[in-house]
Amino acid sequence: MKSPILAVGGALFAWAALCGAQQPAPESPAPDSLKGVELKGKAPVNPQTLRVVLPRAQEATLSNGLRVALIEDHKLPTFSVQLLLTGGGLDDPGDQHGLAMVTASLLREGTAQRTSRQIAEQFATLGGAFSASASPSSGETAIGFGGLSDKATAIFALAADVVRNPAFPEAELEKYKSRFLSQLQQQRATPNFVAQEEFMRAVYGTHPGSYVVPPEKVLRAFTRADLERYHKAHYLPNSGIVLAYGDFTLANLVQQLERAFGDWAKGEARAISLPALQPPGKARVLLIDRPASVQTSLWIGGLGIDRRSDDYFAMLVMNHILGGGPASRLFINLREDKGYTYGVYSFFNGSRFPGVVLASTDVRTPVTDGALQELMGELRRIGNEPVSDAELKNAKRALIGGFALSLDSPQTLIANLATQKIYDLPPGYWDEYPQHVEAITAADVQRVARKYYDSGKLQIVAVGDAKEVKPVLEKYGTVETQGAVNQ
Amino acid sequence: MNCAVRLGLCALLAAAVSASAAESKPAPARAAASVRVEFTDTTLPNGLRVQLVEDHGAPVIAVNVAYDVGSRNERAGRTGFAHLFEHMMFKGSQNVGDGEHFYQVFSNGGSMNGTTGNDLTLYFETLPANQLELALFLEADRMRSLDITQKKLDNQRQAVQEERRLRVDNQPYGLADEHFDELFYSNFAYQHSTIGSMQDLNAASVGDVAQFFKTYYAPNNAVLSVVGDFKPAEAMAMIRRYFADIPRQSEPPAVDLSEPEQQAERRETMTDPLARATQVQIAYKTPAGNAPDLYALRVLSSVLQQGDSSRLYQSVNKEKELVVNVGGFVDERIGPGGLYIGATVRPGRKADDVEAAIYAEIERLQQQPIAEWELEKAKNTTRFAYLQSIRSAQSRATMLGTYTVKFNDPGLINTRVAGFEAVTRAEVQRVAKRYLQAKYRTVIVTNPAPPAAAAPGA
Repeated sequence: MKSPILAVGGALFAWAALCGAQQPAPESPAPDSLKGVELKGKAPVNPQTLRVVLPRAQEATLSNGLRVALIEDHKLPTFSVQLLLTGGGLDDPGDQHGLAMVTASLLREGTAQRTSRQIAEQFATLGGAFSASASPSSGETAIGFGGLSDKATAIFALAADVVRNPAFPEAELEKYKSRFLSQLQQQRATPNFVAQEEFMRAVYGTHPGSYVVPPEKVLRAFTRADLERYHKAHYLPNSGIVLAYGDFTLANLVQQLERAFGDWAKGEARAISLPALQPPGKARVLLIDRPASVQTSLWIGGLGIDRRSDDYFAMLVMNHILGGGPASRLFINLREDKGYTYGVYSFFNGSRFPGVVLASTDVRTPVTDGALQELMGELRRIGNEPVSDAELKNAKRALIGGFALSLDSPQTLIANLATQKIYDLPPGYWDEYPQHVEAITAADVQRVARKYYDSGKLQIVAVGDAKEVKPVLEKYGTVETQGAVNQ
Repeated sequence: MNCAVRLGLCALLAAAVSASAAESKPAPARAAASVRVEFTDTTLPNGLRVQLVEDHGAPVIAVNVAYDVGSRNERAGRTGFAHLFEHMMFKGSQNVGDGEHFYQVFSNGGSMNGTTGNDLTLYFETLPANQLELALFLEADRMRSLDITQKKLDNQRQAVQEERRLRVDNQPYGLADEHFDELFYSNFAYQHSTIGSMQDLNAASVGDVAQFFKTYYAPNNAVLSVVGDFKPAEAMAMIRRYFADIPRQSEPPAVDLSEPEQQAERRETMTDPLARATQVQIAYKTPAGNAPDLYALRVLSSVLQQGDSSRLYQSVNKEKELVVNVGGFVDERIGPGGLYIGATVRPGRKADDVEAAIYAEIERLQQQPIAEWELEKAKNTTRFAYLQSIRSAQSRATMLGTYTVKFNDPGLINTRVAGFEAVTRAEVQRVAKRYLQAKYRTVIVTNPAPPAAAAPGA
């Protein structure tokens, strides 16, 4: 997973009556006093939410079972292709987390016909882009390529060679390990990378979800034969789907794919076997010492929902109100009202297995106490009190109105299509999305907030100067301190 | 042909497409040079420059206001002020409440932000197409009547100081990155950082904010670029309604950006308690962003350090295994800029060896022309990146405003690519000799230090 992203939308009405009412209120209270934001009511807002029709993908299947979906877009003479192969890190053998990742990374380091350098030079000469990734917690290996339409045939051919015929040269594998591990050391100098690794371990334990990167010892042990085995078993046309947009018709695209991938032999595609997931049993407070840190990085949350969960839309609306952007409770309270931080956001994700719920921020060390108090207060409040009508209305307006912007972004349309395909959601899923958002009530929001930001199971991770921060954290439980990160 | 002029982004079919071959080929070939962004460019009587791109390709509108002010306009003792001021622009005006700007944009399905750089300050929002009036109203109201109070200033001073901690003081190499321009430039305008010092941020007063607003946030110092799904006549009428009576101010004082010619290499060594590896930063002086040599310098930079086909990646990272990463760019400023190269040294390797390996590659650029494929790479990757950059409505609005403020030439949105197409191998070699000389170089090497050895500044 990536670090929290800033999502659009949210609402700002702060509530007035704080006292811990736990009853699910059927009707939200009237909009109450504003905290941090002042509305003058003079801005000419168009009261209508612009409803848009999302483009439907055109679909086909090659004779070898490779599925194809295209969103035609002739605005520019360019194209973009994503090939998703079911499996990814979730197909890693239990003692080889990271195998899918290393296999994907080594694709471009040599094929039967081309050296690593030739591959790099040829993609570059064409002005083409190529990427391949499969994090240890991913359910798919994601391969992407694209470029100028007048170079499409050559780019497809090169991408197909790299995907189908990787040679995994021994020397390149060793060079890759050395590059990766030295980069990792550098990443661990940044507080948020450290916080993310610790948070994921706290939430997922031994589940693949815990691995932001593979364990170093495991990575060092990978051999060429391991990569070949993974590739042979999982790089199959019949476990893949191509999602494309750009300046071609479906007939053009299928023709390109037939030429480059048509004789790619089918294999035995297998279903992903998901390892058991043990949710965190109790709340924990984890502190990672970072001497000389002038800020404390706080990551607070727990286990969330998978992408097909019935709680998805309630979670979406709840997250918008809580910390989905600058118009959210967390931002308005901790930044605009208190001046504790440059930014504070909440986030949730979910794939084939439950993702996380997370609120995070970076605050100067001396205000760690106040910031933590407000953050924990907001997490309690959204579970204890129904959100106001105005907050609920504005969150829905933001979420539904935002669809218009996705039409200006083919990447977003493709990401939506990928979600529908990967999680096997109904074909009309995105058309019905606004209705599902509309149906969410204040009680739904409160219910999911209380369920997933459950104070009895919250994982609090802090990265900062331990001697300053530890006494503050002790208010929230027994502090488990990890050694200094920059030693 | 489905390409009407009213489509702002107008992809024209190239003349020579073989009709008979079209079915057996991929999509018809089009030259990037034939893709044009059609825009109108009008100046209102109060000096506000207005650019419109009509594009019904998606139901969105993108509004961008570019102000001709950046940290280059700051005076000594007030570093960071242009950026602090940018934050004040979200704190309310006569008809818009404190924080209402972002509240209205986000609650209506839009996105927005502001950014401050050395050269200019941008404010932008993208919204569903039926909210054009909202976006224009919000931008006009704050241009006309910013509400400035001590409380709001103190509040945003805290947010900005937190931003400084987040981006500079709490990041490995943050202070070295900030210090680099202090060594690289001689002229104060570009020498100091945009984020500014804690001390100067503390010194900023309400009086400073009011004066800065009057001087720089006038219609005659701004460019309004609107791209998207609207009828130009209606949009123009709205723009006149909201902006036309904002009073013009006298022209802001010009800033001297000129640099004396550098006579010798500048070099410093720093220590950083947050770093875990040594970092090497190198930059060579380059001319202003619209100088003709910039095209060849950018091609050179692409060959030297762009992507995993580049000379520095292949030689210094992959083959010699001296660095964790290496790469850089040529910046594009109103005034003099630099060709930047940054590298992080691998554990057990020496910064001296990294520098020597980089200089060897630079020498090779000076002694031999680049390969044909390298020139083709630079041109094709530039063309692809350009096409991607003009896809979204907001990106086009930003480019128009930026090119106008920086170089008084919004047409660069269409002519830039041709400039790259014209670069030759001989020109790349010439600019390598001309600009990448040791005496024009600045170097900072930053070593990790134990936390007790040095506390970060501020």
